[in-house]
Amino acid sequence: MSLPTDFGPDSGGRMKGICIVKPIVYGNIARYFGKKREEDGHTHQWTVYLKPHQNEDMSMYVKKVHFKLHESYANQNRIVVKPPYEISETGWGEFEIVIKIHFHDPNERPVTMYHILKLFHSGNTQDIGIEQSQGLVSENYDEIVFQDPTQLMHHLLTNTKQLTLGRWDHNTNFALKKEKTLKTIIEAKQKVKGEIAILKNKLKLAKETISMFKDEIAKSQDNQFML
Amino acid sequence: MADVRDIMELERPPTPEITRETILGDKTKKRTSVGPKVPKRPEGMHREVFALLYNDNKDAPPLFPSDTIGNNGYKQTKIKLGMRKPRKWVWMPFTNPARTDNATFHHWRRPSDEPKEYPFAKFNKKVEIRTYTDHEYQQHLKCEGWTKEETDHMMDLAHRFDLRFLMMADRYDTERFSKRSVEDIKERYYKICGVLAKLNGEKKIYTYDGDHERRRKEQLKKLYDRKPEQIEEEQFLLGELKKIEARKKERERKTQDLQKLISQADSQNETPRKTDKKLPKKKISNPSRPSRVDTNHIFQVIESAGIKFPDFKNSGVSLRSQRMKLPANVGQKKSKGVEQILQEMGLELNPTPSEEICQHFNELRSDMVLLIEIKAALSTCEYELQSLRHQYEALNPGKSLSIPPQLLSSADGEGKISTGEIIDVVGSPGTPSNT
Repeated sequence: MSLPTDFGPDSGGRMKGICIVKPIVYGNIARYFGKKREEDGHTHQWTVYLKPHQNEDMSMYVKKVHFKLHESYANQNRIVVKPPYEISETGWGEFEIVIKIHFHDPNERPVTMYHILKLFHSGNTQDIGIEQSQGLVSENYDEIVFQDPTQLMHHLLTNTKQLTLGRWDHNTNFALKKEKTLKTIIEAKQKVKGEIAILKNKLKLAKETISMFKDEIAKSQDNQFML
Repeated sequence: MADVRDIMELERPPTPEITRETILGDKTKKRTSVGPKVPKRPEGMHREVFALLYNDNKDAPPLFPSDTIGNNGYKQTKIKLGMRKPRKWVWMPFTNPARTDNATFHHWRRPSDEPKEYPFAKFNKKVEIRTYTDHEYQQHLKCEGWTKEETDHMMDLAHRFDLRFLMMADRYDTERFSKRSVEDIKERYYKICGVLAKLNGEKKIYTYDGDHERRRKEQLKKLYDRKPEQIEEEQFLLGELKKIEARKKERERKTQDLQKLISQADSQNETPRKTDKKLPKKKISNPSRPSRVDTNHIFQVIESAGIKFPDFKNSGVSLRSQRMKLPANVGQKKSKGVEQILQEMGLELNPTPSEEICQHFNELRSDMVLLIEIKAALSTCEYELQSLRHQYEALNPGKSLSIPPQLLSSADGEGKISTGEIIDVVGSPGTPSNT
């Protein structure tokens, strides 16, 4: 494996101009027990997870994933070093889970995500992909952007293997969702732009009218002086 | 009463002890409140004698005992003289061991002290000056600019004047050697001491920084040589500096207050703020030639409106969703407005962050801010038009200016796209001509 070693004096070991994007999916699934458990009052079993959007083994470049649970959990800092990056627990309440991804190259800072653990169905559009058989799913798509990765990181990022040989699916069809979202955004943009154009014209009209009014006032004042 | 008490040998009521505090502290009080102080009979003074001093009016006495505070008062009638045998003084010679010439002087002295040494001899302290051999000098003490003769001379002077370096410099043999400053001599002397101490294995370290001393003295000299005008100038400048700082503080305080006011106003409704600002402005400006500053500055605002998202060109890892965060300089008012429009249009507040979506979403929100700004500007313009019309109507009773109907529509249909055409206002029929 021959790696290029020189990227210029100012590179700081980074490969300038290279940008690698790794799409990820993070969130939780939750399942209701059907009743409140007697011993501790827990009502749900849940699993919080982080996984790649594409089928690849993230442990190639991810050193560890740190899930920070609510302080009421014993051992609230859970660290997972190999896939699947997930924590399963039981509980009765929703809270914010901090997910922090550490990379193998210490020069790359860890990235942090915040996920609100969802246990209960709500009318909000945010919780997606609900299938009754599976319980509740609340997951988000994001992209880790490696701008000018270090040489080591670049090597790790571009040499990932498949995680499984089987199908790699998500509860949510993000490709479709992205397509739909983009379409609506572009439409909205056009609408706003159109409105701006109209309002700008109005503003121009207003400006002209104001100056005309002022001229009229000046004229009539001059007339009064002459009288 | 006092007499009766005396006869009956009754205890007097205890009088408070006189201290400096009671005297000083009470003086002012007593002068104003109580009348003349009743004098107390000094202890031991006969009643008759005391009565002679004080008449019934209790006036201040012509004489007042002042030295009776001692233990005996007037009880001790006689001074005790000649109780002890007088001691003798003898005129006798003495020698001072500090002197080497054995000179004999005389002075008065008690005979009992005779065998003792001259008491002031102990103050004749001698400083121990280090010595060195030729060999030591050749080996360790050679120094550029100093010959052995001169060094010897210097050490000799040190010995003679007990290290009074000022005197040594004064008495320096300038015929044989060149003139040396106090610092030169000190530097050389302490260096020699240091080397010799080291040779003898002593722990003591001699340090002398001649350059530092020279600079220090120069500074002192400069400080001392300042003219009165210069001192005055310095004082003046210091005063000015203080004033400047005070003014600066004042200014900072004022800007902070202003900032607070502005942010308060921002958090309130925007339109009334603008009109509030405008009203006084218009009153000040000359009504016959109204300035266009108001509207012009609105147009400038429009040009620069929008959101400036930071560039994510820095090296390192980041999340795409971070780039959709509104920058901190976008006010709460604006971000709320953007949120509202997004909701009205049925868009997510945090869409799935792919690169394309991120870019378009940011542009969309920037446009929305622009839209909000333009709407605000339009309502300001409308207000201005209304007030101009009122002004015109006041000047020309019975006549009026008509505002183009499109401009009045900004009040209806929030966020709706109006499909009305834009009519060119130049020569519009609504404008009356008053020729």
